[in-house]
Amino acid sequence: MSDETLPQPSESPEAPAGPYIYDYAASPQRQVVMPKTVPLPSLRTYEAEVKAAVAADEAKWQKMLADFETAKAKAEAEGKEAPKPPVRPVPRKDDNDLKTPWPQEAKDDDLHRLQERLGGKVEEIFEQAGELTCQVSKEAILEALQLCRQDIALNYEMLADQTATHYPAATGFAFSVVYHLTSISRRKRLRLRILVPEEFSPESACAVYPSANWMEREIYDMLGIRFANHPDMTRILCPEDWEGHPLRKDYPVVGWGQRDIAFREDRGGMLERIALQKAGQLGINLKQPKAE
Amino acid sequence: MGVSLNQPSTLEQILITTKVEKVMNWSRATSVWPVTFGLACCAIEMMAAGASRFDFDRFGAGIFRATPRQADLMIIAGTVTYKMAPVIKTLYDQMPEPKWVIAMGSCATAGGPFDSYHTIQGVDKIIPVDVFIPGCPPRPESLIYGFMKLQDKIMTSSLADRYKDIFEEVG
Amino acid sequence: MFKNEEMEINLGPQHPSTHGVLRVKLRLDGETITHCRPMIGYLHRGVEKICENQTFFQGQVWTDRMDYCSAVANNLGWAEANEKLFGITVPRRAQYIRTMLNEFNRLASHLIWLATHALDIGAMTVFLYAFREREDILDMNEAFCGSRLTTTAFRIGGLREDLPPGFEKLVKKFLAKFPSCIEEYENLLNENRIWKKRTIGVAKLSAEDAIALGITGPVLRAAGVPYDIRKAFPYAAYAEMNFDVPTRTEADTYARYLVRMDEMRQSARIIQQCMDGMPEGPVMAKLPKILKAEVNEVYHATEAPKGEIGYYLVGEKGSGNPYRFHVRAPGFINLQALPKMAEGGLIADIVAAIGTLDIVLGEIDR
Repeated sequence: MSDETLPQPSESPEAPAGPYIYDYAASPQRQVVMPKTVPLPSLRTYEAEVKAAVAADEAKWQKMLADFETAKAKAEAEGKEAPKPPVRPVPRKDDNDLKTPWPQEAKDDDLHRLQERLGGKVEEIFEQAGELTCQVSKEAILEALQLCRQDIALNYEMLADQTATHYPAATGFAFSVVYHLTSISRRKRLRLRILVPEEFSPESACAVYPSANWMEREIYDMLGIRFANHPDMTRILCPEDWEGHPLRKDYPVVGWGQRDIAFREDRGGMLERIALQKAGQLGINLKQPKAE
Repeated sequence: MGVSLNQPSTLEQILITTKVEKVMNWSRATSVWPVTFGLACCAIEMMAAGASRFDFDRFGAGIFRATPRQADLMIIAGTVTYKMAPVIKTLYDQMPEPKWVIAMGSCATAGGPFDSYHTIQGVDKIIPVDVFIPGCPPRPESLIYGFMKLQDKIMTSSLADRYKDIFEEVG
Repeated sequence: MFKNEEMEINLGPQHPSTHGVLRVKLRLDGETITHCRPMIGYLHRGVEKICENQTFFQGQVWTDRMDYCSAVANNLGWAEANEKLFGITVPRRAQYIRTMLNEFNRLASHLIWLATHALDIGAMTVFLYAFREREDILDMNEAFCGSRLTTTAFRIGGLREDLPPGFEKLVKKFLAKFPSCIEEYENLLNENRIWKKRTIGVAKLSAEDAIALGITGPVLRAAGVPYDIRKAFPYAAYAEMNFDVPTRTEADTYARYLVRMDEMRQSARIIQQCMDGMPEGPVMAKLPKILKAEVNEVYHATEAPKGEIGYYLVGEKGSGNPYRFHVRAPGFINLQALPKMAEGGLIADIVAAIGTLDIVLGEIDR
């Protein structure tokens, strides 16, 4: 498959061997751009980022002041006119600027109740865009789900959605698995989140919420996270013999090239029958008796 | 169909001579029965073409057969995926001769917008196609136009051409 | 079967009553289904993967092709999820137009469901009647956005265009006619002996099972749970609309039919209110040319004709593409209930069970 003349795809892992009719190795669609950052929303990271930004801004201002002082001293020494004092730059504001919702301190009672009941197993709670997020440790997910389902004050009856995200650039974990719970009676939503390293099998949610069955199969199919104690951990969308997990970030959009599908030129299967007859496998005589 | 009898007028009115092939083609072209087989979005437009406003039945193609063994035409209406491809091929092989295929919509024609790991870039990679209809999805009028093109094709087809390979082989 | 043994049969992926390319593996004891296993993925097109490699504005066209019977409802969910991700406020007139088109879409989707479901069970006439009214709705789609099925009706931040001139007249004409059309369908089906025999008591699903399996939409409401996202978590202009959530307690196929018929009446009511209270003003919010995300995640759910459609989006700082795009498709979750509904029933009733779930394989496989 590897041709010397073709430009090699950057950062895309080696394709598994197999019969492919098109070689996509040179296709731009085959290129994989691996993410450099870990876009995992979190109050702690956000606060650290804001703190760092403020510190950087202050350092820049201090440097400007120091520059001004040296320039002033230099000008005085040379007897020139003193430079203007610097003005602290204000961040430019535009009407078109987006008001992206930031992670905020958790105020909702549900999150505090979860933290109170689960104690140290809760890693982080925050609110963002009006949505409640609670990150628990990966071993305690079943306990957290059971609490959400059975606790009368929480009473989240339905698991609306469950999905996962691949973070190849992260250290310490490779996937985040999110559970979107809905409380029909209390009209509330809650997001539970766990961070899972590669080769770790989180506990299946099927025991608490039977609706997790297919969603976990889909996660396994698309991202390759195996769930422990799942009744039927098989692929659901791709065929059983599919290679790789498409929603991982190192999987190209077009996949590993198209597989070979035998093209049948013979419309009625007659040529095949003739070939079979020639080989002596078919007892039908196609030859009509010729007119004398 | 040329009338070439030099006979009294009464007979002229009841007799015509034509080629057997032409009669066969005419009868085939005006009663093409499609197989009930929808894949994706285009299937809804195919249904709409068969329903009240567009009435596909006017062209003799309104009887959607539930089994490929009774059908002449296969309208590939939608995206063909790797998982579905062997099924389509089996269905096509199950249809009796003569049979025709319409690739409806850009997905069946060339993969459409879905250039991804699980889609086949056009159904002509697995079965031969007679008429391609562009559109995403094509309007029912487009399907009817494509179908009429297929009728033209059937009218001009000849048995000798169709089975040339076989005739040569058989001698 | 002379011997007392079970038979395994395969329904689909090409079968006239599986609504697309659904495959169901059945094990039968005589005519009774003892085991049922739906198999999906025959229309898996990799929408999520494609979307993650395209910009936020480009993402809309993929939502059309997921649930192609109700493209507008998918567009609405996508647009609102993005607006939540970026913190965009949509003008009020755009909200009203979105609500109105969404309800038209609900009518179109329910009409397709009625047509195909009745056709599966053997009532061919309804098919022709329902498609007649559906064409009128598609004409309105066409007048608004130039396309019948794959609409791409909305934009992130509002609408691309205001309503076309003369649209009001089309709506008025439709609303004057539509109530009598619903009566027509009901005359054909409500007291039809065959229809009642094929639907009453068939494919039951209790409220507890439905909630445990995550079922939403008319199937859940026919089990007596009045959960409608338009009421529970109002979006677009639904908070200002006055409408009822029809429910039934029988939880069988007939109850689901009645719920959907009542929903169509309520949709017509909402459309009327939108037309009456349509505010003036712009239809598009001020937006930058390129949307660049911050680190943020949203899950936004709306009430599609089939149930709760949820969009889960993760944004990456400075990136114009969604880092993760996931759709909670109502059909995907609802189809999980098929074994529960079909097992223990007759083989003929699985057709009714598939029809009553109102599945579209495009959104199930994505």
